[in-house]
Amino acid sequence: MAITGFTLALLALGFRRPFIWVLAYLYIDILSPQKISYHLLNALPISLIAFVLAFGGWLLIDPKTDSRFTLRQGLIAVLLVYCGMTTLSADFPDQALAKWSWVWKALVFAIFLPLTLRTRLRIEAAALVMVLAVGAIIIDGGIKTVGGGGGYGELHLFINDNTGLYEGSIISTVAIAVIPLILWLMKHGTIFPPDWRVKGFGFALMFSCALMPVGTQARTGLLCLALLAILALRNVKRRAVYIATMAVLALIAVPLLPDSFTKRMGTIQNHASDQSAATRVAVWGWTLDYVKEHPLGGGFAAYLSNRVHVELKGETGAGNNVSVQTKDAFDKARAYHSSYFEMLGEQGWPGLVLWLWLMLSGLWQMERIRHRWKNRTGPDESWQAPLANALQLSLIVYMAGSLFVGIAFQPFCYMLIGLQCGLWSYLRRIEAAAPRAAPVSRAMIVPHAVAAE
Amino acid sequence: MIDFFALALSHGLLALACWRILLRVDLDAEGAPPPEDNPVAPPSAKPLPKLRSRA
Repeated sequence: MAITGFTLALLALGFRRPFIWVLAYLYIDILSPQKISYHLLNALPISLIAFVLAFGGWLLIDPKTDSRFTLRQGLIAVLLVYCGMTTLSADFPDQALAKWSWVWKALVFAIFLPLTLRTRLRIEAAALVMVLAVGAIIIDGGIKTVGGGGGYGELHLFINDNTGLYEGSIISTVAIAVIPLILWLMKHGTIFPPDWRVKGFGFALMFSCALMPVGTQARTGLLCLALLAILALRNVKRRAVYIATMAVLALIAVPLLPDSFTKRMGTIQNHASDQSAATRVAVWGWTLDYVKEHPLGGGFAAYLSNRVHVELKGETGAGNNVSVQTKDAFDKARAYHSSYFEMLGEQGWPGLVLWLWLMLSGLWQMERIRHRWKNRTGPDESWQAPLANALQLSLIVYMAGSLFVGIAFQPFCYMLIGLQCGLWSYLRRIEAAAPRAAPVSRAMIVPHAVAAE
Repeated sequence: MIDFFALALSHGLLALACWRILLRVDLDAEGAPPPEDNPVAPPSAKPLPKLRSRA
């Protein structure tokens, strides 16, 4: 009941400031409150209502002069059209249509979101709502993991629904991907300015994020966490201290981890004995064969036609008496378990190229912003480079998780991309405006800098 | 119980965040000249409690 009240109140607040509707859509699309609440919400197309309000509010009320349409939004639009075309000619039309019904919304919203991110506060607000909405699931999972309620496919997160962000591998990837954003909000937030409460909550939330791979026992999450720890080396000032701290933390954490987690993580190295991992490799091989005959892809859910044969190798005995046994296993209609192969199989080479272009251009844009803003010292010029860095790290972690999880169309990814496009567009506008009317516009944007001059 | 706590904490913070956002004038437009007596204060519709001077 409270969830219903909160969601409806959020929508009501939008009548005063329409940007709240954009935040409401982010919240609804991430947390799916209609699945948690049994009152009213699950009877309403609440996501569609929020989208219509957000778009209508922008169209009718918001000034458009500062909105820019960027190349990457164009790429998403092309991907949207292309996915629409492959859906029309899909191998499995009904299943393809079912996936298309939510994919188009994620893509359209990713095109739309940057148009609304016209001010620094809006960019921060979008990041904060994304973190807090996904934080609800992560806090739930973190506490249950500490209480020993985890297990592969067993961590119950609000609802008994293994879809979207409530799926173990996906939430553990997304949980690690939001850590850089949490850190940025802790240091540069203005909605919740940095103080001991913000830092305390931020560290607790990041700890919960790190617990998600343990609670869900998703191997992908552990790989993402390790990758993030390595990538963070680029930004830390005292690398030796950082490495030593990480090593000590790992040494403390390993004995505390449950046995089932340690055993499952052991299969990362020895995938030949694990049917789940071995089947993935077989499906990827099948996908490569499939696109030889269908280079333009088979549309959503094309994996349903796969039939794979897996040989599992197991060792018994010890020392000189080790014997290797081979077991045959057959499987069919196995999902891709990789975003790259998901794009390749469903959208063919054009889809994969578009998707990779979208991702890699995001990394490049964030690197450009980082490079341009990192040495600026003005009072309102210190948040840009760290945010670009956070969004870059988040996307790298997401891309790493994508190697083993089919999340090419997960809406959260497109929200990250929308944030990147919004930041890129906003800073281009600020930079373009600054030299043209230096005394006036800089005074308005960074009063300190002018005062210092 | 844990579900309730996680939902209450996150939604409490979301509600507070949305309320603070709602009161900020720089949500929709940047560049409004800051008040002359306090040029470095973050733009907000109402003065935040922490900005009050201490005796």
